[in-house]
Amino acid sequence: MENLQALFIEEAEELIVKLESALLNFERDLGNRGSIEEIFRAMHTLKGSASMFGFDSLSNLTHDLETVYDAIRDNRREATAQILEVTLRTTDHIKEILKDQNLGDTTNRETHEALLKDIKALNEYSHDSVRELKSGPVEIKTYYVSFCPANDIFKSGSNPLFLVDDLVALGEALVIPYFKPELFSTNICEDQCYTSFEVILAGTVSEMEIREVFLFVEGNAEVIIHFLAKGNLLKEPAFTKALAGDQSLRKMSFGFDSVKAIAENVRAVPMASSALTQSLNRMETATSIRVSSEKLDELMNLVSELVTSQARLALLAEQQGIADLNVVSENIEKITRRLRDNAFSICLVQVETVVTRFQRLIRDLSKELNKDVVFVAEGTETELDKSLIEKITDPILHILRNCIDHGIESPEERVAKGKSPQGKIHFKAFHSGATVHLEISDDGRGIDAARIKAKAVSKGLILEDTILTEKDIMDLVFTAGFSTAEKITDVSGRGVGMDVVKRNIDAIHGDVDLQSEKNKGTTFTIRLPMTLSIMDGMLVKIASSDYIIPLTAVDKCYEIDTRTLTSEISQRVVLDGSLVPVFNLRQAFAEEPSQSPITQIVKLNYNDFPVGVTVDTVVGEYQAVMKPLGDLYQTQEEFSGATILGDGSVALVVDINKFIRQLMNNNETKN
Amino acid sequence: MKTILIADDSESIRELVEFTLKRAGYNVLKSEDGEQAIQHLTGQTIDLVITDLNMPRVDGIALIREIRKNKDYSSVPVLLLTTESQVSKKDEAREAGATGWIVKPFVQEKLLAVVQKVIR
Repeated sequence: MENLQALFIEEAEELIVKLESALLNFERDLGNRGSIEEIFRAMHTLKGSASMFGFDSLSNLTHDLETVYDAIRDNRREATAQILEVTLRTTDHIKEILKDQNLGDTTNRETHEALLKDIKALNEYSHDSVRELKSGPVEIKTYYVSFCPANDIFKSGSNPLFLVDDLVALGEALVIPYFKPELFSTNICEDQCYTSFEVILAGTVSEMEIREVFLFVEGNAEVIIHFLAKGNLLKEPAFTKALAGDQSLRKMSFGFDSVKAIAENVRAVPMASSALTQSLNRMETATSIRVSSEKLDELMNLVSELVTSQARLALLAEQQGIADLNVVSENIEKITRRLRDNAFSICLVQVETVVTRFQRLIRDLSKELNKDVVFVAEGTETELDKSLIEKITDPILHILRNCIDHGIESPEERVAKGKSPQGKIHFKAFHSGATVHLEISDDGRGIDAARIKAKAVSKGLILEDTILTEKDIMDLVFTAGFSTAEKITDVSGRGVGMDVVKRNIDAIHGDVDLQSEKNKGTTFTIRLPMTLSIMDGMLVKIASSDYIIPLTAVDKCYEIDTRTLTSEISQRVVLDGSLVPVFNLRQAFAEEPSQSPITQIVKLNYNDFPVGVTVDTVVGEYQAVMKPLGDLYQTQEEFSGATILGDGSVALVVDINKFIRQLMNNNETKN
Repeated sequence: MKTILIADDSESIRELVEFTLKRAGYNVLKSEDGEQAIQHLTGQTIDLVITDLNMPRVDGIALIREIRKNKDYSSVPVLLLTTESQVSKKDEAREAGATGWIVKPFVQEKLLAVVQKVIR
């Protein structure tokens, strides 16, 4: 039971996220039928499962609320701000109950009592709405479908078997093929279709949905759909035996009438409703299963180990020079890669799962601060590693707090500035190569560069005569000990500054910067790697050491005559007809100049600018399993980790953005 | 890996379709009109063609007719990109041998769902 309860809690948490998001949508647009349906459904499911899993306190709470929403749904009462308020408070409380189901905590018990009273009050408001719930389980129906493709259906590029598959996917199905008489004649033609199908389909689908399957072959096939019976006829052995018992090739169809006759003969007792729901549940479970995150972590670890072992195998195979072994090794490499990608995709979660939390924060905060703020989220389907999502949520919440508190002005101030009284916070997530970008922008007062600088000077962070670019000044915001709010508010003055945000993002190898224009607004951009554990890299050699460059940063490789390189760390080299700044890494790493006549240049993409680095040899593509560098190297940023190569030696993984930035800075200070 | 050929004179549509399909694991070839599409079809295996209706030189319907005429690739599925206002063209396209259609604007899931309807 405890296992089941854990499962329920997990499920309930998901439901609450859905519920919250629907509530917030509903608050914005009270006429939205979709949200009200969703609220009701979430509430209903919560109530039902809560009582099943012994969470009676939760079930009591939701029961009465559900009644309220049922009434709203049926247009028997109006949605009011008060109802929404109570519901939102309830969802907060449910989160607590999930951790404390017996209400052991006194505060929880008090909140619970208060909420029960409030909810009751909502219901007394509309006595007439007390009514039994009428929505039962969705009904299963059995249909007869006849699908007779035209002989030349292949000519339109359609594959009738795919359509049959689609049909089967709608529920439980019995497919009975039969062959057209032409098949048995002497001159059959291979590009003609001689097969037709009769399908008995049981499921919760409508006739429309079945017809939809054949949308593309209208005119190219004869499709007949008839309702056959209530319930699942395929559960009747006599019925299926009569239709499919005979395994020989059929040369003609049964036809709807005879199938119906068979159905009526075998149908004596109607199906019990419990059996109905059971088969329904079975169909649902087929599409997805729940796995504990420990199991996933274990899987990822094993995949990482496998990738490392495979690298050894590849090296051995190459050294031994046995052709057959090479073939096997290459095959294993391909499979490993696919396994790795698959395992990754399992760990990816849509950003949407946390967006509701952002929305909620914005709603509550803007109310508290008397600001009118609308939140727009875009690209919420973007996927990110589950562990990253967990770690990025708090920094984003902090940024949002700052946006509302310091960024967005009060409605009066906005109107005075000629802006719309309603402020806007825009959240946007999207992929760019193997990085995920998260952008948070507001249309508030922006950041005053002069004020930032003055503040930094007064705090002793910089000297008064330091010359800084706009970007440098903005970066000061992320320095420890910096906070510009003239009076500390309850909201963003909680002791954590933007430096913590930056530190948290750095810890997951991400990057954050901000752009701001006075009175136009501020944009924070967070760039994150899609995953932390394994990545595709390019293995290169410099002197006697190996390095991994993330493949996503690599643009192109060139070979140049070593003699053209000067002894400077930085110089310009013509690549493909344009001058590109190139860093001599042998110089940068204080190695001896290369003796080889040829040096390779890897052209990289650094913030959309081409930058080259010299390496001795480009070894090739490499799947790098990232290992942390250890505490001693915490302070450096240029290398995001290390990986173990096939021969057991270690290669450092370069964080291109930070590495190039560092090289540029060093170069500037030198000049 | 299945190879899908997209023919559309709008670069943004080409890119969007390519992005969506590549992410779903398909190999994608692009062409700006029907003529280029035919060139792609010659000499390599294409599993699905997605074509716009209006294109310079050889348009979508003409492309479908051309495909159905050539023995080497006459049975390749062809999906037509249409807008709501071009619905009447569907019949003409079907007549020409189109396998199905995708109505613009579409969301990525919809595009993938339709593609999976015709190739597996």
